[in-house]
Amino acid sequence: MTNLNCRDCRDFAPIDVVKGVCHITKTTVLGDAEQCGDFSMMPKCKHCSQFTADAETVEMGVCQASTMEPKFFAFPDMVSVTCEYYEQN
Amino acid sequence: MPKTLKEVLAEAGSPMDFESGGHSPKEMVDREVKREPHARVVKLKDIYMDTLSSANNEFPYWYTREYVQHDTEIPVVRRAMSLKSAFSHSTPVIYPGELLVTHKAAFFRGSFPMPWLSEGYYMAKEDELYQEALKHGSASADEHTKFGQGGGNVVESFDKVISIAGKFGMRQEEIPALLKLAKAWVGKSVDDLGHKYEQMVPDYAVKEALMRNVICMFDSGYTLPQGREVINYYYPLEYGIDGLLDMAEELKAKVAGRADGDGIKGTNRLFNYEAIILSLEGLKTWFENYGKEARRLESIEKDAGQKAEYAEIAERLEWLSHGKPRTFAEAFQMMLTIHLAVLNEDAISGMAPGRIAQVLYPYFEQDIAAGRTNEDEVMELLELYRLSMSSIDCFASTGVVGGVLSGNTFNTVSIGGLNKDGGHAVNRLEYLLLEAGLNNPMPQPTLALLYDEKLPEDFLLLAMECIKTGVGYPAFMNNQIGMTFMLGQYGPEGMTAEEARSWAIGGCLESSPCCWKPLHLNGKEYFVPGGAGQPTSVGVHFLAMPKILEAVLWNGVDQRTGEQVFAPHDRKLATYDELFDQFKLYWQKAVDVLALTNNIQHDIWRKNNMAVITSMLKPDCLDRGHLIDEKGYRYNATFNVESAGTITCVNSLAAIKKLVYEDKAVSLDELKTAIKDNFGFKTAEEVNSFSLSDQEQRDGDTGKWDKLHFMCLQAPKYGNDDIFADQILLDWENFFCPDCRNYESLYAHTMYPCQISVSTHGAMGSATIASGDGRLAGTTFADASLSAFPGTDRSGVYALLNSAAIWDHSMSQNSQLNVKIHPSAIQGPSGSRKLLDLIQAYMRKGGFHIQFNVVDTKVLKDAQKNPQNYRDLMVRVAGFTQYWVEIGKPVQDELIARTEYEGI
Ligand code: SF4
Repeated sequence: MTNLNCRDCRDFAPIDVVKGVCHITKTTVLGDAEQCGDFSMMPKCKHCSQFTADAETVEMGVCQASTMEPKFFAFPDMVSVTCEYYEQN
Repeated sequence: MPKTLKEVLAEAGSPMDFESGGHSPKEMVDREVKREPHARVVKLKDIYMDTLSSANNEFPYWYTREYVQHDTEIPVVRRAMSLKSAFSHSTPVIYPGELLVTHKAAFFRGSFPMPWLSEGYYMAKEDELYQEALKHGSASADEHTKFGQGGGNVVESFDKVISIAGKFGMRQEEIPALLKLAKAWVGKSVDDLGHKYEQMVPDYAVKEALMRNVICMFDSGYTLPQGREVINYYYPLEYGIDGLLDMAEELKAKVAGRADGDGIKGTNRLFNYEAIILSLEGLKTWFENYGKEARRLESIEKDAGQKAEYAEIAERLEWLSHGKPRTFAEAFQMMLTIHLAVLNEDAISGMAPGRIAQVLYPYFEQDIAAGRTNEDEVMELLELYRLSMSSIDCFASTGVVGGVLSGNTFNTVSIGGLNKDGGHAVNRLEYLLLEAGLNNPMPQPTLALLYDEKLPEDFLLLAMECIKTGVGYPAFMNNQIGMTFMLGQYGPEGMTAEEARSWAIGGCLESSPCCWKPLHLNGKEYFVPGGAGQPTSVGVHFLAMPKILEAVLWNGVDQRTGEQVFAPHDRKLATYDELFDQFKLYWQKAVDVLALTNNIQHDIWRKNNMAVITSMLKPDCLDRGHLIDEKGYRYNATFNVESAGTITCVNSLAAIKKLVYEDKAVSLDELKTAIKDNFGFKTAEEVNSFSLSDQEQRDGDTGKWDKLHFMCLQAPKYGNDDIFADQILLDWENFFCPDCRNYESLYAHTMYPCQISVSTHGAMGSATIASGDGRLAGTTFADASLSAFPGTDRSGVYALLNSAAIWDHSMSQNSQLNVKIHPSAIQGPSGSRKLLDLIQAYMRKGGFHIQFNVVDTKVLKDAQKNPQNYRDLMVRVAGFTQYWVEIGKPVQDELIARTEYEGI
């Protein structure tokens, strides 16, 4: 898994768009900081087998679990801990 | 160097003396009272102080995804399905040290756009936002995380953060999703549909012109359709989520297919109950998801104390996902989560929690008696609550968030007042609530003290201590005047004197109808107050009186833009009476057209975007089976007309009356020419100060207007117990208040006056040319509705109170008077006593509202120069308390300029 950082960690509680609290170290860390040895992956659409990336816009894609036609969009960075259709890649 | 007005007047022998009743000490004086909250609160507050307002798309994503699938569904059910999906998919986030949990969005200070209300902003900015999202990604984040001017506002884009409306930060990765979601609502949002239909009002062109020329500040139908009301926590507290689900299921079965005598709306009850059930299911999942997150954190936590706290939080949330609260902590958590749920239903400002210490008292009383908790634990929760409430952001359009709200969301808590039986309603928990406001001074919840002669003296003196911290709360509201207004406005809907006692403040200063409900706890019955009315500040919003006067003087033409706003009146304005008569006619024209267009916007809102969750909470929706759109609320006569710039207009009328019509010292034409020429001064924009005293003469100005300008400044001014100016205020109020009854809301009730400025006195002042009172172009209007214009109240504070109390305040939903006092003027116990005497004197004269900024102007000046040193400085603006660094410059300038009372 490449390019994963604190924002992608299950134990990162986002304070705002820049930083968050690390539940492991109890310190404030930047979301874009590199992952550490305690990293545990946060479910996001980009890790979901139902997600198909958009060919043109990297921040966009389609959720294949969507029950409508055409399928509803999804975006890779969306947190999906509450998504009932999430299946990890 | 061009001269400032202050220098010009000093040379003329009439210095602008902004200190009244003495002189302040030379050195900066800090506020007298300072306290600290519990250690855990300090830690979390440190996080808050360094937090950026942040937004994401999770809620709108799931809302929209569900909504688009059900285009043939009944609107109320479709809306509830969308809400259910959005709540069920909201990511829970809990921070170490929290005891009260749940957040609006997965950030400490999070919010999100609601494109179903209005998507136009994103569409208009599509290109810009997209380019910003592409552009950023190189600079380092650290360099932008320092706070100065702006506080937690993301005033500009940086790194991977895109600024939306100069307030909210959104991750660059989410911008394409935001635009895609916004597109899904083009032509369907309340804004778009409202706009389509409001154009069918015959005088629509006048409305457009009023908005374009900032004579009216904003539409209420799609900007903030709910709020400025008091929420009601009774049902979830009394029944719990499962109890409410059972009740709704039972009632649904009872009404399915039955009209029960109402051939139009009777059968709608089935769909309404179905919507209620869906929403409750969404809330249940929200509680459960938070419970799961607390359990997860418990499982990974190494620290035994924190682990136990997570377990406790998890148990609480798991219980509340179905059961009714049994303890103080459970009731408090339920209240907070329900409050946030309501705020996530709509773009809402001013959803006031109401008289929470009276609502929570049964739990407090029984827990304390049983030894389940103690006052220290209760205090810690009360302090934490201030942090939760201050973290609430409202994601609305730029003009609304900055220009009107100053970033505040007005979750006012009321204290004091009377109980159901007419005794005072103060209890031990109310003392603690006030103390929490002292210990943890934060903008929210601001406190409104419903003053009644029956309130205990020590409680009032404690309130004085709180005011002396400089937080600006509690504001004092006159309970008897409030009740008289309630009975006048809601009597026709059945309000009794007993019920009128339950009223509270919604928003910052909007008197709101409430009711009593019987809460049962362990076999004991308590009557608790809670909101029972629709939003009480919707309708015609912020109509700038000085701009209407300008239109009168120039035959309907706005002088900043040159646009013909009103049809020409072609009157000679030969007498003051003719001038005032025309002012009233233009005013009525503006109110009429704005009332109609706003009715249409709200009608679209109620048809497609009605409140389901707030409705379910408000008596008597659950019993009746009708939501807000079908007048299920007990009180529906809540629409109003909001004025702005009252005192600036009164002073201008006074100057014109005196100089032109009585003394004939100048002709109206000559005065108009001077006003148009800004009395030889630059504009506020050019000077970059919005305070009158800082204005500079134009280079090369010959001084030809100096004498006239001086006369205008010296003309009678409101705030000095001078009947010449005060009579104009009285005449205005005696016209304005009853005139509101000539306009009908979409709920077929007459309207009423609302007289608060929020922050519009800054924004509207900056769009207004000079005025007859000597105010210069672009400078801020007098704040609130009864505050004197800075530096013009020169006869002492009691004279100001006499001027303010000249009219009958019970004719209006509110009035607003802000007074700035130097900390040294009210030092020590005798200072507290003097302050209380002053307040009581005003209340006894029939004043409705008064509040204080206890601050040294030198501190404010320093804070404007060095914002980085004043992240936690708070001031009182109009009806709310806000961090200095988070308010705009026009309002800051007015606060600095405001008369400082050195002695009272
Ligand atoms: S199933 Fe859920 S997590 Fe997976 S792509 Fe769809 S929305 Fe995202």
